[in-house]
Amino acid sequence: MQVTFKDVTLSYDGKRDILKHLNFVIQEGSLVCLLGPSGGGKSTTLNLISGLLAPTGGHIFFDDADVTKKDALGRKVGMVFQNYALYPHLTVLKNIEFPLKMAKMSKADRTKRAKELAALVHVEDQLDKKPGELSGGQQQRVAIARALAKEPSILLLDEPLSNLDARLRIEMREEIRRIQRETGVTTVFVTHDQDEAMHISDQIMVLHDGHIQQFSTPKKLYASPDNLFVAQFIGEPVINSIPATALNHDLAGIVPDSILTQAQTAGIRPEALTLPQRALDPLVTLHGKVLEFDQFGRESTANIDYNGYQLISTEMSQLAHDTKELDFTLEKKGFFLFDADGKRIFGGDTPMVLVGDQSAQKDPAAAPTESGGDTHAE
Amino acid sequence: MKKVASILRYTILTLGALIMILPFFWMLSTSLKTQPETVQIPPVWIPKQLQWGNYVEAFKAAPFARYFVNSVIVTGVTTIGQLFTSILAAFAFSKLRFWGKNILFLIFLGTMMIPGEMLIIPNFVTLSNMHLVNTYGALILPWLASFFTVFTLRQTFNSVSDQTYFAAKIDGASDWRFLWHILVPMSKSTITAVTVLQVIGSWNAFMWPLIVTNDENMRTLPVGLQAFTTDAGTNFALLMAASTFVIIPMVVVYIFLQKYIIAGISNSGLKG
Ligand SMILES: Nc1ncnc2c1ncn2[C@@H]1O[C@H](COP(=O)(O)OP(=O)(O)O)[C@@H](O)[C@H]1O
Ligand SMILES: [Mg+2]
Repeated sequence: MQVTFKDVTLSYDGKRDILKHLNFVIQEGSLVCLLGPSGGGKSTTLNLISGLLAPTGGHIFFDDADVTKKDALGRKVGMVFQNYALYPHLTVLKNIEFPLKMAKMSKADRTKRAKELAALVHVEDQLDKKPGELSGGQQQRVAIARALAKEPSILLLDEPLSNLDARLRIEMREEIRRIQRETGVTTVFVTHDQDEAMHISDQIMVLHDGHIQQFSTPKKLYASPDNLFVAQFIGEPVINSIPATALNHDLAGIVPDSILTQAQTAGIRPEALTLPQRALDPLVTLHGKVLEFDQFGRESTANIDYNGYQLISTEMSQLAHDTKELDFTLEKKGFFLFDADGKRIFGGDTPMVLVGDQSAQKDPAAAPTESGGDTHAE
Repeated sequence: MKKVASILRYTILTLGALIMILPFFWMLSTSLKTQPETVQIPPVWIPKQLQWGNYVEAFKAAPFARYFVNSVIVTGVTTIGQLFTSILAAFAFSKLRFWGKNILFLIFLGTMMIPGEMLIIPNFVTLSNMHLVNTYGALILPWLASFFTVFTLRQTFNSVSDQTYFAAKIDGASDWRFLWHILVPMSKSTITAVTVLQVIGSWNAFMWPLIVTNDENMRTLPVGLQAFTTDAGTNFALLMAASTFVIIPMVVVYIFLQKYIIAGISNSGLKG
C-alpha cells in the first residue's frame, strides 16, 4: 500500500505543533525508517499512519483512498510496539490468532494461518507457551506474527528493537528485513539508532523538530546530506564540523568565492581525510599537527589539530607513530559546506564547480532533488 | 545473631496467630457448652461434655434456612452487580478519554472520605420514599456501586500499558471485547481479591440489613443472630452455635481463595 501525507499537521494541545506540514510518499512494498532523536515526532507520525491519532490538519491517503477519518481498524494496519504488548494470559498461538478471531475467521482457518505465521517468524515450537516464558527476541517475533496475521495493508513498528540486547538487536533487524522481503508488506520502522536505520531501510526519513530533514536512500543520506543536522546525525564516528572560516585560506582559489562567503560550517567525514599518497580524488592538501594516534587492529583514529580545530580521521593507518606534523589530503567525497541556515551549498551531489574548472557547467538535472523523489539504489 | 532474630520473629508471628485465632476458638468452644458453663468463672476452655445438640436447637430457634437464602441472594447480587459497575467505571477512568475525567475522579475520591454511618439516614430516607423498605431492593441497591472497588481496579488496569490497549484496537477488538477478553483476564488476581472482600463484607453486613428490614422473612443471617438475645438475656451457647454456621461459608471461601486475596491486596498498593 502506498502511503501519502499531504500537508499533515499535528498538535496534541492545540498550541504547539509537533508535526508541521508534513508531505511525503511511502512507496508500496518498501521498508522505510523514521529516524531522528527522541521527541522528534517519530511515534506521532507512526500513530498518524496507523490511525490511532487523527491529524489536526491535512490529509492521509492509502493508495488513492483518503483515510484521514478512518480509525486503525478501518485502515487494516498491523503494528508492533516497543514493549511487544502481547496478551500475557494467552498462549503464543492464541496471541497470533487474536486478530483473526476478532475478524471472525473460523477456528480451523485461523489456527492454520497462525501456524504458518509462527513458522515464518520461527516460533513454531513455542506455540503453547505464554509470552512470559519467552525471551525478548521470541516475544518480538510473536508480536510481528500477530501484526502480520490479518495481512495488513502496512506494517508499523515503533522502536521494536530497543528493548533487546546488542547482539539480538542485530539478529532481529536482519530478521525484520527478511520477513519484510518474504511478505512484501510495506513497512514503516521507527528508530533513533542511525546504524539500525542505515542497515535495513530502502529509504530513511529523518525527522527532527516536526520537519522532515531529508527523505532518501541510506546511501544518499550519508553521501549527500541536505543539511548540517542530517550530516551530524548520520555516520559513526560523527562528521567533523568546524567553522568554514578556518578553511578559508586553504580553499581560496579552489572553491568559488561566492560559495565561500556564504559558507558557515564545514563538514568533513572522518574518512575524507587521508594521507596524500593514498588520496583518490583530492580537493586540497592541508597541514596540521598530530595530537593523538590510536591503532587497534585494522582500524585507526588520528586526532589532528588543524588551525586550532580538532579533526578526526579514520584513514591514516599508514601514519608513522612518531609523526608530529603532516600534510594530509581533503577528499572531495565526504566534504560539505553548509550555509547559515544549515543548508548544504557545496559537496555531495551538488556538482562541484571549482575555480578554473572550464568543464564545469551547471547541470540543472543533477541539482539536489527534492527529498523523497529518489528511488532505492542498493 | 541471625538465629535469635529468627526465633524472635517466629515467636511474634505465633503470638499474633494465636491472638487472631482465639475468638474463633472461644466461639467453637462456647457453642458446645452447657448454659452454666458459658458464664462460669474461671472460664471453661474445653466443655466437659460436647453439647452437639446446641446446633440443632439453634437452627430451630429462628428461620435460619430463610435467612440463609436471603444472605445468598443479597451477597450474590450485590457482589456481581458491584463488580460489574466497578469494572466498567475503572476501565473508563483508566483507558478512555472523556471530558471532565480527572475532576470526576477527584469528586469520587472525595466521597471515600465520607464515613459510611453518615450515609445511613439519607439512604434510608431515599429508599423508604421509593417504598423499598423490607425488600431485597433496599438490601441490595445502595451497594451496587463502590468507589473503593473502582479505585482498586483502576490501579490494576493502569498497570496494563496503553500500548496493549492500542494493540488490541488494531487487532480489531472493540472496547467491550478488550475489556472482557484482555483487561479483565489480565487483572484476574485483583478482581478475585475484591470479589472475596466484597462477598465477606456483604455476608457479614449487619447494620444496614437491620435498619431496612423488620419483616422476619427479609432478614439476613447476621441479623437473625439477634434471635438469641431477648429481654431475659443472651443464650451464649446457642448464639455461638448459630454464629459458627453463619461464618462457615466465608471461612471456606477464604481458605480456597487466600492466594488471590493476598496477591490482590499487595498488587493494588492498598494495605490492610
Ligand atoms: N500523548 C501526547 N500528549 C502530548 N504530547 C505528546 C504526546 N505524545 C508525544 N508528545 C510530544 O510530542 C513530541 C514528539 O513525541 P514523539 O512522537 O513520541 O517523538 P519520538 O517518537 O520521535 O521520540 C514530544 O515533544 C512529546 O513530548
Ligand atoms: Mg517514540
